[in-house]
Amino acid sequence: MDRMFPFGLESDLSFYLIVYVLTLVVHVFLMTYVLAGSAWLAWATMFPGRDVLPLTTQPLAMILRDWMPFALSGAITAGVAPLLFVQILYRQQFYTANLLLGWRWMMVIPVLVIAFYLLYVIKSKAVSRWSFPVRCGLAMSVAASFLFVAFCWTTNHLLSLDQAAWPEMYRSRRAIDAIMPLCFRLLTWVAGSFPTMSILASWQLWGMRRCDENREPSISAVDWLALYDREDRRLAKVSVTGLLVAVISCLCYAITLKSNVASQLTGNPGLPWLLIGIAGVAFQTIGWWFHLRKACFCTLWLTVITVASLGTLIAAASLREIIRLSQANLIQVTESTRAAADVGGFAVFVIFSIINTALIGWCLRMVMNRHRV
Amino acid sequence: MSILNTIVARVLHSGNRRIPQVAETGMVYSHQGEVYRCFDAPLAAHTFDGVFRDAMSPIYPVNDYGPLMPGLVMAAVAILHVFLAQFAVGGGILLCYFQWLAMTGRSQNARTFVHGYFKVLVLISFVLGALTGVGIWFTSIQISAATIGEMVFNFHWIWATEWTFFCLEVVSGYCFYRYHRQLSDRTCLTLLTLYAVAAWMSLFWINGILSWQLTPGDWLMTHSVMDGFFNPGFWPSLLFRTIVCMTLSALIGCIVVNIIPNLERADRQELINKAAHLMMPMLAMPILGAWYLYSMPDDSRGWVLGGSPAMMLFFMISVGASLAIGGYALIGLWFQKLYINGATATLLLLLAFGATAGGEFVREGSRKPYTVRYVLFSNAIRPEEVATLRAHGSVTDDPFPVIHETQLPNETVTVGAKVFRRQCAVCHTMEGSNAVAHLTESWDADQMRMNIAKLQQTKPFMPPFAGSAGELESLVQYIQWVHQRRPETWDKTIDPQAIEHIQKWLDEAGTVAAGFIPQRIQSTAHPQADVRSTVGSFQ
Repeated sequence: MDRMFPFGLESDLSFYLIVYVLTLVVHVFLMTYVLAGSAWLAWATMFPGRDVLPLTTQPLAMILRDWMPFALSGAITAGVAPLLFVQILYRQQFYTANLLLGWRWMMVIPVLVIAFYLLYVIKSKAVSRWSFPVRCGLAMSVAASFLFVAFCWTTNHLLSLDQAAWPEMYRSRRAIDAIMPLCFRLLTWVAGSFPTMSILASWQLWGMRRCDENREPSISAVDWLALYDREDRRLAKVSVTGLLVAVISCLCYAITLKSNVASQLTGNPGLPWLLIGIAGVAFQTIGWWFHLRKACFCTLWLTVITVASLGTLIAAASLREIIRLSQANLIQVTESTRAAADVGGFAVFVIFSIINTALIGWCLRMVMNRHRV
Repeated sequence: MSILNTIVARVLHSGNRRIPQVAETGMVYSHQGEVYRCFDAPLAAHTFDGVFRDAMSPIYPVNDYGPLMPGLVMAAVAILHVFLAQFAVGGGILLCYFQWLAMTGRSQNARTFVHGYFKVLVLISFVLGALTGVGIWFTSIQISAATIGEMVFNFHWIWATEWTFFCLEVVSGYCFYRYHRQLSDRTCLTLLTLYAVAAWMSLFWINGILSWQLTPGDWLMTHSVMDGFFNPGFWPSLLFRTIVCMTLSALIGCIVVNIIPNLERADRQELINKAAHLMMPMLAMPILGAWYLYSMPDDSRGWVLGGSPAMMLFFMISVGASLAIGGYALIGLWFQKLYINGATATLLLLLAFGATAGGEFVREGSRKPYTVRYVLFSNAIRPEEVATLRAHGSVTDDPFPVIHETQLPNETVTVGAKVFRRQCAVCHTMEGSNAVAHLTESWDADQMRMNIAKLQQTKPFMPPFAGSAGELESLVQYIQWVHQRRPETWDKTIDPQAIEHIQKWLDEAGTVAAGFIPQRIQSTAHPQADVRSTVGSFQ
């Protein structure tokens, strides 16, 4: 790798890496909504504030409760594509890490099933009548479940990189060799999920505040808007904090990397992405700071934050692959993708992708026009 | 720019896989004491990690599931997922039908049913169905990473295409779920139709990949993804599964009808009779089942139809349960002689689960000794690797130690444990289910040596032993050590005469599986070949 990732690589490998990174970003976008959203819900349930307000006057919590099951469904569905392409790119590493973790890895599925159903329970109207400890327990269980899944993925990923440790890990049945990289990496993703969730949530709040029909009848229109502004400020604070923690933990993680790996990040393959990532974080911080000071919605800044966040995620995903490729057998990965490229079916995928994207657009259009019925 | 070129080239050339030149491959088989080099058979083109290689497939760590054989773990997840996924596919068709009934005024309560049924569909299929789908992928990796790797490698664009339908399924489904009360009937029907088509198309795509495992057909020669996808088992399997989907959805529909509140018995009866319409295609099941059996390889069909008692038993369970459901549907629901209450519907659904489980067991089992016919044995060893492993040893390069190695008495037994793990553990345990220790209990050492050396002849659904004579002897000693309740010391040494016998038996048995009969042909392309060329004759 001597040029900007993924362009310095063989074209077939570059192609699969691009497809993988793009599909991964879509998955991550939805996944962060679920991860940070569940943490937000747990917090909002445990600490409702001095002014204990009815559920309908917590717009963000209401939105999250309503949309989390769909977001999880979307995250799982979106996760299928990167899960497919990781098997083309890093088959041996991915499979071996799965096998070394064994039942600990397989626990991801039942935990997700439980969390999924609990999200539906939290969404139900009956839950507001339940006692405070039960509600707290529910919300915390969901957040802990998603944190566990994040922990498993991080462990799996780090284990897949450390090929030399595999035999010993198999013998000892341990899952983690080095605790610090795991903690820093996990913290980077968890903290980074808050600003991303805040973007989706902010757009949802923006859409919701425009519809007066959502307003609680007992609250005046002015107070109603003030509630939204308060939520917006909270989101901005959480996002800035999340970005800060993510950057610090990311730097700590970088320190744990071997020098040859770190040099790839600061060299030709990684430097442009590093700069894009830094710029993305800077723009997001500025955008949220602006929100915080102005204390109202500004679609222009929200658009800037969204674009910056997408840039940051693509940069983070690219840097992640640079780290992985630096530790993989590049010849094997290149030959593997070259052979995969000889397998037919890509035209079928392109044709149906176009058709199905159009059909998804049509579905959304039908739903958006529903008020005219 | 080169990436752009790659994309354009890939779209324009939807492409068959490149068949490698002879110099790249050169696969050696031995059969009945004679050595063959396979120049023309595409089996020689096998890849691992896409590399036409000199090296062997990598060795993955193997997990021990205690008394459960890994196949059972796989079966549990697979059967649950297949059941739920088929419910989702059939559910889409059923909902479209009921929406149409409601719109055309043919059923007063159809709309109530649609709303109630979709909730069940979302809560069961969207959650459990989707997650067990991911779960089956993870489980496949746990049980046979090489098999799932082979499937993903050869059909990743087909799988990616299926994924686009998953996306459509989720979006159209949730759009209906969230907004159906605010949408016109026509829009609801459109969304449900999109959902049903997307769900059925996901069956369409995965069916091609799954049926390829047993009947790869012309793919073996061409390596064309379309030849592999539209394989001999594709259409009978697809049509059969579609009927199963419709039947399951109708049975669950009967349960839903019984739990919808505020309905009179006559209303329930009417809805149940309408749901039963989706069970009528069951009449075609015998024909489709026969077609599917006909598409199977001779040996696989033979096992299902009596060659293997276990497979025959599960086949009969599947047929019997289907007959019971079909009979009830025909007499009770179509001719309206019987009412079906919630308990009966649940019982019929359990029967359907039994039929699904039996059918899936037969489908999985009939592939033996392969997981992908002629491509990959059940133990993740490739047919073309057997000869090399016989010479080189199957665990020589195994980097993973035996867990609790210190509890094993000596190096020979340790090697035996490794051989067991590499070659047997995917289908057998040592002392749990399908236990090797029990299966070989009555064999003396020489019987054991010969039966394992000639494994594919001892049991035609077993793959050939793929290790050296020394490894086979180590395996025999490991089994004997277990037979003797794992003593702390084990003084037996490897007898050179035993090794000689084992080698003789291994040579006699050859390296090909029971169903693969090489045919001698003259290789016109490579007349300089110093051994006979062959193509495989696939039974």
